[in-house]
Amino acid sequence: MPPQPKIGQSSIGTKIVISISSFFLILFLLLHLAGNVLVFFGPATFNGYSHALIANPLLIPIEIILAVIFLIHIYKTIRMWVRNRGARPVPYARKEWAHHTSRKSFSSTTMILSGAVILLFVVIHLETFKFGPDYLVAGSGQVRDLYRLEMEIFSNPLTVAFYALVMLLIGSHLWHGVSSAFQSLGADSPRWKRTFRVGGRLIAIIIAVGFIVIPIWVYFAGGRS
Amino acid sequence: MANMTLKLLVWRQPGPTVPGRLVPYTADQISPDMSFLEMLDVVNEGLIRKGEEAIAFDSDCSEGICGTCSLVVIGIPHGPQRGTTVCQLHMRHFHDGETITIEPWRARAFPVVKDLVVNRSAFDRIIAAGGYVSVNVGGAPDGNTLPIGKKTADLAMDSAACIGCGACVAACKNASAHLFVGAKISHLALMPQGEVERYERAARMVAQMDAEGFGSCSNEGECEAVCPKEIPISNIARMIREYSKALSTHRKWQWKATTSE
Repeated sequence: MPPQPKIGQSSIGTKIVISISSFFLILFLLLHLAGNVLVFFGPATFNGYSHALIANPLLIPIEIILAVIFLIHIYKTIRMWVRNRGARPVPYARKEWAHHTSRKSFSSTTMILSGAVILLFVVIHLETFKFGPDYLVAGSGQVRDLYRLEMEIFSNPLTVAFYALVMLLIGSHLWHGVSSAFQSLGADSPRWKRTFRVGGRLIAIIIAVGFIVIPIWVYFAGGRS
Repeated sequence: MANMTLKLLVWRQPGPTVPGRLVPYTADQISPDMSFLEMLDVVNEGLIRKGEEAIAFDSDCSEGICGTCSLVVIGIPHGPQRGTTVCQLHMRHFHDGETITIEPWRARAFPVVKDLVVNRSAFDRIIAAGGYVSVNVGGAPDGNTLPIGKKTADLAMDSAACIGCGACVAACKNASAHLFVGAKISHLALMPQGEVERYERAARMVAQMDAEGFGSCSNEGECEAVCPKEIPISNIARMIREYSKALSTHRKWQWKATTSE
């Protein structure tokens, strides 16, 4: 009998860690989207919201926790991916999808790739907005004019196309990922299977469509000033 | 239906350490009523008559209940027909002139012995690690001596239907054994006979599974789709729950397991 690995090291424990971390990331995406939607209400509302976030002393600790969760998610996934690749050293000459009850899809077979693109995107995205130019505007004192920055960034059609493409990939990642995260926590039964699968795909669609609509709206409507 | 002629591409590998390759054969005079393995028998008789080495493949009961046959046919373990082992796959599901690829299960934990035969003793070691009941439960009890709810009995029976063929591992992109181990853990966890060692069993079997070099689960459900017994992946979820309980609340056995070696 081999020694018992620590729960986080076993194949099942790894999946549990990945799925719990993903719940925080999904929650972040939903909150992020809810905040971004305020851009539809004009510069005062949007800048007021962003200033409230920036001025909150809890922001930095929360950002650090979120970054750590993000990195844990990536680290555990890559380790698992490497191990999984090693589990079949000689590939099949011919391998077909089984279909039938299987939920194998474009989304489920490209998780590591969509994940890699998301990581790259997060770096670019933070550089563009969080560490982007500090336009100031009079609000409660001088506050960052993120509304103006967003209007400028999304006036470039290439940027809009890039964002839309990446958001589709995030949608794809979540299409398989959300319901998969529940399954990895052992939350599956013949009774709940449909709820988790449909609910997960719904969340994927909300997040992808929501984040795609904003840059497209900015590009065509140019915002309200 | 008239007899068929098929083009086969069969994995030939003389031994575990020798590299293998796909070799083309022609299968002539194949009756659509033959099973897939009978078709291979016909091909082998032809090879033997020519003085060539017969294709090695595993088979036993030929009625889909023993779990010995193990061929990946046209890229799908046990072939494209659902809910059957390859011995129960009949040639009427193929058409005349079709090219059929035949490969062994492919996984690090299932090394090729010869041609299409793989060594599945990794499964035996997982069972030996905990897939049993140590208490003496005597002979077959009279019906309803030990009352078990119908729903529970059905769930346990669905899991117990696993014949240990390894198609789940063969189908999984990660060569994961989660469905097999999930079925074995579930089947005993749902029964009062298995209750005593419930959590120790889950932890021991998962540890052995990981040590054998199987991958982990991506929740695609290819295993469920190819399983000749159509065992659902809710068994994997149950295994996760059993294992989580084992490692979070039942620590006593953990100490035993790590010090008994």
